[in-house]
Amino acid sequence: MKYKSIFSPKNIALIGASDRLGSVGRGLVKNLSEGSLRRKIYLVNPFKNSILGKKSYPNIGAIKNKIDLAIIAVPAKIVLKIAGECIQKKVGGMIIISAGFAETGKDGKAMQEKIKKLIQEKNIPMVGPNCLGIIRPPSRLNASFAPATPKSGEIAFISQSGALIDSMIDMSLDENYGFSAIISYGNEADLSLTDYLEWAASDKKTKVIALYIEGIKNGRKFFEIAKKIKKPIVALKGGKSDLTKKTVFLHTGALMGQKEIFSAAFQQAGIFEVNSLEELFDTAKILCWQPKIKNGIGVVTNGGGAGVLTADYCQEMKINLPLLSPLTLKSLDKSKTMHPAYSKNNPLDIIGDALSERYQTAIEAVLGQNNIHGLIVIQTLQIMTEPVKNAKIIINAKKNWPKKAVVSVFMGESQKTKKAISLLEKNRIPNYTDPLRAVKSIKRLIIK
Amino acid sequence: MLLDFHQTEKILSKYKIPFAKSFLAKNTNEAIKNAKEIGYPVVLKVVSGDILHRTEIGAVLNDIRNEKELKTGFLKIEKSIKKNAPKAKIEGILVQEQKSGMQIIIGAKIDEVFGSVLMFGLGGIFVEAFKDVSFRLAPVTQKDAKEMIKEIRGFKILTGFRGQKKANLRKIEEIILKASLLIMEENIKEFDLNPIITNEKGAWACDAKIIL
Repeated sequence: MKYKSIFSPKNIALIGASDRLGSVGRGLVKNLSEGSLRRKIYLVNPFKNSILGKKSYPNIGAIKNKIDLAIIAVPAKIVLKIAGECIQKKVGGMIIISAGFAETGKDGKAMQEKIKKLIQEKNIPMVGPNCLGIIRPPSRLNASFAPATPKSGEIAFISQSGALIDSMIDMSLDENYGFSAIISYGNEADLSLTDYLEWAASDKKTKVIALYIEGIKNGRKFFEIAKKIKKPIVALKGGKSDLTKKTVFLHTGALMGQKEIFSAAFQQAGIFEVNSLEELFDTAKILCWQPKIKNGIGVVTNGGGAGVLTADYCQEMKINLPLLSPLTLKSLDKSKTMHPAYSKNNPLDIIGDALSERYQTAIEAVLGQNNIHGLIVIQTLQIMTEPVKNAKIIINAKKNWPKKAVVSVFMGESQKTKKAISLLEKNRIPNYTDPLRAVKSIKRLIIK
Repeated sequence: MLLDFHQTEKILSKYKIPFAKSFLAKNTNEAIKNAKEIGYPVVLKVVSGDILHRTEIGAVLNDIRNEKELKTGFLKIEKSIKKNAPKAKIEGILVQEQKSGMQIIIGAKIDEVFGSVLMFGLGGIFVEAFKDVSFRLAPVTQKDAKEMIKEIRGFKILTGFRGQKKANLRKIEEIILKASLLIMEENIKEFDLNPIITNEKGAWACDAKIIL
């Protein structure tokens, strides 16, 4: 594997380790120690003999063992010197957390260039500077000062913004999806967005790549590489408004803003573009858990309104809702479990008083229809509704039709509903609490 | 730098981009001779890198049907230029075959992040009013070109909506592919083919601007 010393290091040195409350150095010590059973962590700080009960070395050269990964979190002005020491130590890779480089102006940029030259001469891969670090939840590697280690999963999240990663991790702790890797790429002095993309594409733990980007250094290269990657890529682009309005002469120039060009490039490269963080992970989640399908969706609902909204969204997004076939209707009628006023239509409204038995009949009948390739099951909580039982029925149905996509819309936040949602998602049925989010997400599965 | 008419024409013909039959006339006699060759009705329009918005100053006249109208029109344009743009450098007055149909735009430019990018959309006055356009990075495939056309909100208008003339989608596709080749191969910054007029019989650029 490429960049093994960065993503799967055995021995790590943290230069700038600290026990000072509120410091980046302390955050890193804490996060790195979570994986201390799997790898050796060496702390470096010339002013301390021990940090949080662990031995501290005066410099990286004082460590006897070989170091795979050096993490540097020291003031910008001494980073060059420290990087030099790391090179002498023959480290396999570096992460420079420190800020104060190209992002601050000319002097910072000059310093960054010097470091870049130094490490590229020795062919040592480097992440950053000016970044949060990287996290590999599957191997409990947290080489960052993020507030927590997120759940392990199949999404590789690559982000230009470190602070957004912090918030995403915080938000995701209560969610059921997880991450194969989180990469904050900072100033891209050495390794750049395209390197991380290629890495994620070859990483066995990663199923879906989620991107947050503002600018791209080499758009053409990004485009060519993204186009070749077979794993789904979902991208959220920040900074869409053109702040640098140039004088324009022709119509083409006037109409081609950054937003339009990025969107065109994403579309052409087969990247799913989204408009919010919520949508980024709604999309990543479904792409991780459900198969690609042909156009043709069935909707089963115990609430008329939610069904109508879902049908509206499907129509807007050009998702086919095939009519229920005579065969399907026959099996529904024959079951004797349907309410006399049930809709006989797609969306199939099984009426508010539906118990689990009725859900089961409806779900099986609809999934059994050949031209229906995906299913949205909506549950509005009514007094007699049985959320956990319904969840189990959905999970079982999915097992019987593994090639069809199944999504749930259990709408609500009550303990009862939450318990069912958690059960669904642990079994890889994505749940969305709003039909719009469900329809938008299932749309991403449809093969064009 | 904006290319002059002859240089522009040369590049377009190199890429076999159809251009409405046109001649640049210096005086009424040349205009009359050219119009005869093209056949009436014709369009008259001034060609000058200094005058970008011709309609506003009355420097475009459509539907000229005979020699008499041509003479009057020619003089009228000359007069309006003298009045409204006295300092403009004039290449001449273009006598152009009058095409009728839907107006579309195809353009391209070099973007600093992604390189060559193509644009397609409804042309003429619609460009500015609706900004109904689609984009692709060049080079594009025929499939991309087809999608670019279908993607615009006003696609229906091109398919013979309510008695409008149908656009020739196959010819538009061809022009998109040629424009893609042009922006990839020529050392230029940006170009507009606006408008391209299209009807069932074909699609012809009626105006082109190329910036080096």
